[in-house]
Amino acid sequence: MNAIRFYTPLFLLVAVWQVAATASLIDAELLPSPVAIVQGLAHLLTGGDLLLHVGVSLYRQMMGLFLAAVIGITLGISMAHVRWVRDVFEPIVRITYPLPKSALIPLLILWFGIGHNSKIFAVFLGCLLPVVVSSFNGTRGVNTQLVWSARSLGTGPVRLLWKIYFRAALPEIMSGLRIALALSYTLLVSSEFLIARAGLGYLIQSLGEGGDYPGMFAGILIVALIGFAADRLYVTFMNRVLRWQDQA
Amino acid sequence: MAGSGIAVGGRAPRTGFRVPGFVRRSASIVVLLLVWEGVGQAGWVDPFLLPVLSDVLIRGYSEIGGGGLLWFACLTLYRTLFAFFIAAAVGVGIGVAMSVSKGARWFWDPIVSFAFPIPKIALLPIFVLWFGVFDVSKITMTAVACIVPIISATHLGTRNIDKYLIWSARALGTSERKLFWKVVVPAALPAILTGLQIAFPITLIVSIVCEMLTGGQGLGGYMIYAARFGESDKVFLGIFFTALIGYVLIEGFAWLRRRLLVWHAETSAPA
Amino acid sequence: MAYIEIEGVRKIYQEDTPDPIVAVDRVDLEIQRNSIVTIVGPSGCGKSTLLHMIGGFIAPSTGEIRLDGNRIEEPGPERGVVFQHFALFPWMTVRGNVEYGLSEKGMPRAQRREVSQHYIDMVKLTGFEDAFPNRLSGGMQQRVALARMLGCDPDTLLMDEPFGALDAQTRVIMQEELREICRASNKTVLFVTHDVREAVFLGEKVVVMTARPGRIKEVLEIDLPDDAPRLKADEKADEIWDILRDEVIKAVVPGSTYGERAAG
Repeated sequence: MNAIRFYTPLFLLVAVWQVAATASLIDAELLPSPVAIVQGLAHLLTGGDLLLHVGVSLYRQMMGLFLAAVIGITLGISMAHVRWVRDVFEPIVRITYPLPKSALIPLLILWFGIGHNSKIFAVFLGCLLPVVVSSFNGTRGVNTQLVWSARSLGTGPVRLLWKIYFRAALPEIMSGLRIALALSYTLLVSSEFLIARAGLGYLIQSLGEGGDYPGMFAGILIVALIGFAADRLYVTFMNRVLRWQDQA
Repeated sequence: MAGSGIAVGGRAPRTGFRVPGFVRRSASIVVLLLVWEGVGQAGWVDPFLLPVLSDVLIRGYSEIGGGGLLWFACLTLYRTLFAFFIAAAVGVGIGVAMSVSKGARWFWDPIVSFAFPIPKIALLPIFVLWFGVFDVSKITMTAVACIVPIISATHLGTRNIDKYLIWSARALGTSERKLFWKVVVPAALPAILTGLQIAFPITLIVSIVCEMLTGGQGLGGYMIYAARFGESDKVFLGIFFTALIGYVLIEGFAWLRRRLLVWHAETSAPA
Repeated sequence: MAYIEIEGVRKIYQEDTPDPIVAVDRVDLEIQRNSIVTIVGPSGCGKSTLLHMIGGFIAPSTGEIRLDGNRIEEPGPERGVVFQHFALFPWMTVRGNVEYGLSEKGMPRAQRREVSQHYIDMVKLTGFEDAFPNRLSGGMQQRVALARMLGCDPDTLLMDEPFGALDAQTRVIMQEELREICRASNKTVLFVTHDVREAVFLGEKVVVMTARPGRIKEVLEIDLPDDAPRLKADEKADEIWDILRDEVIKAVVPGSTYGERAAG
């Protein structure tokens, strides 16, 4: 398959890594061999806990992303159409734009403690802005800076309008969601590293603290694979949706 | 279609009272700040969760005066910028190599493709294992996290140069060797700068998280310690300062872009 | 020996695939020194490809192109070019663009200034020396491209549909100015266009090409005096149009007579 040929250099790197490890050229503590990592992975799977942690992490990530998507798209589209919504939220968007949302994690910990909600909110807040901005830009058909002009929705043709504007905005919304998807994993992992009792981030940290480095690397690998797979799946989904758009 | 001047609905534009631009632009922020102060003074919210705004500002004054907070901000800034420059140098180098050499492309393409969607912050425990909890691990992690868009943008920018520019330069006597610096780099500059501009905010995000996770002095560490000790006013201060640094960096980069690309058709920062 | 000799030249793209594209089928042509030759043909006939090969930007699949007896293998400053979409260096001002070739030659700054100013004045862009290309209209940008090429004083001028991207009115003016410049200088000019009237107005010799795969259909001498009114040129052009019409129809209606596969 083409994909395998494309990723050959990666496979080669792994092979070289394994050879170097077998020849004891690398410190096995600092960099476990691929085989050791796979063993660590198997260990985690059979240990029983892994799926629980994965489930917890995915639940938090998807909840946060879902909230960000629903609220963000609604907000972005409304901002493009309704003057007062724009007036209220645009300054807030502009002010919070330069703030790295990860800086809010300590605050969320203060507010929501160690449980699920702090992570869900971290993901939500971090992903909200890209979705709002891309929904707004897409609805206005503009790719660059926010350009403001007065709009208001009439009644009656409302549904027709939503159909037109939403469809025109869809490509940009979809690509904003892709960015949000990648961000959601970053925020999830960051918040789970910082303070959690469950989840992949927590698992990786505790494996590391416990000295089980192959396990730690295995955990990181799982996170990477989940992020990668999610992106690939999303791209397939996105292409499908946009193709239907063109045909309809 | 969207973006054009289609009149929607039947409402006529309001005449008469017009709100001046700057008021419209800051009204909701001002209102929010006032509400915050009002709510705090009235004691409706637990000050642990939401400290009174004026208390935060007063605390801020003493924190800055004490010297600590400004120093932390500088540290964060230093780490962020250092990591950015490393990522920029290495990233542009790899991007250029990819556009010039088929072998480099074969090697780096899959790495970039794989690295793009994964949460690179997950690699932090590895860097901590290798480099400890001090600056090296923070800066390395930050550089690795933001390098991918730089490589991508540089590669695409240098590859998609209008061939007629190259041909014109050659017909004007430019040797193959000189072509790269005289034509390719300036022509690719807008794309490269866009890549750098995308990477820039990532640097700050990751820097802060690294500081929160590995401690040490810096805004991230400041905020997480404050959270752990329940000092919510310091947490808010940390957020203000981080936002301030973020704003300065983003505006600074946009300014730099405008100056460097004064000749470019679209001399505005991407949204 | 002619100045430029094009012998048995063919250009085929995607040769080793089941669907090769013959851009230029077989061209033999001689161009005399100091002559002004226009090449005209329908879209896709390979006229631009031919010009690019003379410029040394692409190599012929078979055959040879010689300049003064020497085989052309690379672009060089003795063959100046102007392209349809100007290809100005956007990061340089007008003066920067015009001086570019001069600094490549190693000309000292003061002299560069003088020479570039001369050509900027010649193309009637005095006052715009410090403007960037993105502020100029199409016609102005093409003048800069002309000045940039002329500044280097090449012996041969290669022009690839230079006025194709300009509006009709600008085109008329540019044609007249270019005609003046060409006839006043002693350069060899090769001008590619799809506009028959333009070809006749500008050229001393018109090469008519067939539809793809491109071959030379006819070469016609235009003996109009230098100051001939445009009407005369247009009459001549209408005669030539009859020759060209069949080829244009073949180009516009695909699948007629000439396919895109290489013979054999």
